[in-house]
Amino acid sequence: MTERAVVKSLETRKTVWQVLSADAYIKWFLIVPLLAVLSAFMFYPLFYCLYMSFHEYVLRAPPLYIGVENYRTVLHDAVFWQAVGRTFYVLVVCIAVELSLGMGIALLFNREFRGQNTIRGVCLLPLLISPLAMSLMWNYMLHVQFGIVNQVLVWLRLGAVEWISNPKIAIYSIMFISIWQWTPFSIFVLLAGLRGLPKDALEAARVDGASRWFTFRRLTLRMLMPLIIIIVLLRTMWLIRIFDPLYGTTRGGVGTEMLDWFIYRIAFVFFDVGKGSALAIFSLYVTIVLCAILYRQLIKALGTAR
Amino acid sequence: MRRVMFWIAVVIVLCAFILPIAWVYVTSLKSPEDIFRPEKLAFLPTLYNYKYIVTVRPSLLEFRNALIITLASTALVMGVSLPAAYSFARFNTGGGHLLFITISTRMFPPVVAAIPFFFLFRDWGLLDTHLGLILLYIYFNMSFATFLLYGFFREIPEELEHAAMVDGYGRLSIFRKVIFPLIKPGAAITTVFCLVWAWNEFLFAFLFTRRVARTVAVGLAVFWGSIEIQWGPMAALMGLAILPTLAAAWFMQRFIIRGLTFGAVKG
Repeated sequence: MTERAVVKSLETRKTVWQVLSADAYIKWFLIVPLLAVLSAFMFYPLFYCLYMSFHEYVLRAPPLYIGVENYRTVLHDAVFWQAVGRTFYVLVVCIAVELSLGMGIALLFNREFRGQNTIRGVCLLPLLISPLAMSLMWNYMLHVQFGIVNQVLVWLRLGAVEWISNPKIAIYSIMFISIWQWTPFSIFVLLAGLRGLPKDALEAARVDGASRWFTFRRLTLRMLMPLIIIIVLLRTMWLIRIFDPLYGTTRGGVGTEMLDWFIYRIAFVFFDVGKGSALAIFSLYVTIVLCAILYRQLIKALGTAR
Repeated sequence: MRRVMFWIAVVIVLCAFILPIAWVYVTSLKSPEDIFRPEKLAFLPTLYNYKYIVTVRPSLLEFRNALIITLASTALVMGVSLPAAYSFARFNTGGGHLLFITISTRMFPPVVAAIPFFFLFRDWGLLDTHLGLILLYIYFNMSFATFLLYGFFREIPEELEHAAMVDGYGRLSIFRKVIFPLIKPGAAITTVFCLVWAWNEFLFAFLFTRRVARTVAVGLAVFWGSIEIQWGPMAALMGLAILPTLAAAWFMQRFIIRGLTFGAVKG
């Protein structure tokens, strides 16, 4: 190709791309597929549920408009409020334990030691393994008769515990499974944060004679606040949707029914689409309010951490 | 002394994470009688359970299904999320609101999104097909993939692009020669996350597949019959099903410290 031909080809290329590559166009052009998927997969179910939540629809007869009746039944349902309360209880306990454990282990790993990459990699495992598979496995390990956990307790002469079948304990077993699986998430986010902390500020505090606890509380924790809020935000989103650990262990029985399981039962076991939709809208509303609050906290924390 | 304490703590942490996973493989090698005798620590390993899931209740098809669905959905998610995340990071498209809406797709209860799609898919004949599940997994993974990639794109300094533009590169060649090499580790992590999540996803697979397109996750639940739970074959299938994710973990530990910083935090 001669030099002129190259120039010419570049010129024709330019005319084609000139329009598309102008910032104003390309930014929307790149985002079109995402918007298409969003509208299909988010707005369709949203409007469907909004519509159905005002109708009585139990599959056999066509949808019948009944106003806010679905919402009224749901809000007067004691079982529903129990499920909501339980979900929040699980949310608070799980996130608190995961954060404290995660911070402890992250501080433990925040140094150079032999085999550090392998050891940290191993801690990643629970995060990647199928939640359903591990819940089923924990169900087996916590089994009252032939679970290894109870066997160890028997050997230690502590007596067997009904981990899954006792209504008082089952909820904590589910929390434990979730905590076991998701603590690595906190560990890794916090570890990454710890390693990115400015060394000079911590050094200055040490020179000034600040105690380690003081330094941790006033410097480290404050600088890590955005990451902590991100963990809380994401874990809130995921924990409200908790389903697999329930399916793998109690299946909503023995006093462990949570919000999403309740919706699943109404919508897919009783096929009460109208009531299920009303529940969905409620659940979505609660999640968005919670996340919006956390999101605002995050923006605030980002402002002070800088 | 401090060193000893440190290593004791490390060993406790490692045991807490490894032992339950190891127990999957231990259980899978037990004979049907030994499954119910936890007091017997020394047992004769047998491949009975693995033979069971190959011959008595074939599960290999479930692996093929899961593989097809996982690979296809991940490829499509990346195709959608990469340009979108770039657009969010570089041009702040939609002024932050659009990104928040994208992330909020994950706030919608999947159980509920499943209701309208169940009827839609039934009418379109997409129930129990690979395509149906692939479409659902795009929805399932897209928001978080976009969010992760957004963070990675934010870490690439804009000046690099300006410099390349001054040098006369077009948008396409900038993307190919400047941005892509820099985003590669981030894109790799995101891809692995999408693969793992699609592989592990249970709820949609459980509601939308019956026999033809059943994935491994659903296959596991099937061992929980109405009469008894077949722990042995279940553990064997579990052991095989988590192998790919173990490989993913091995791949990721090199990147992960860098990767999970959620570049978005740096603002």
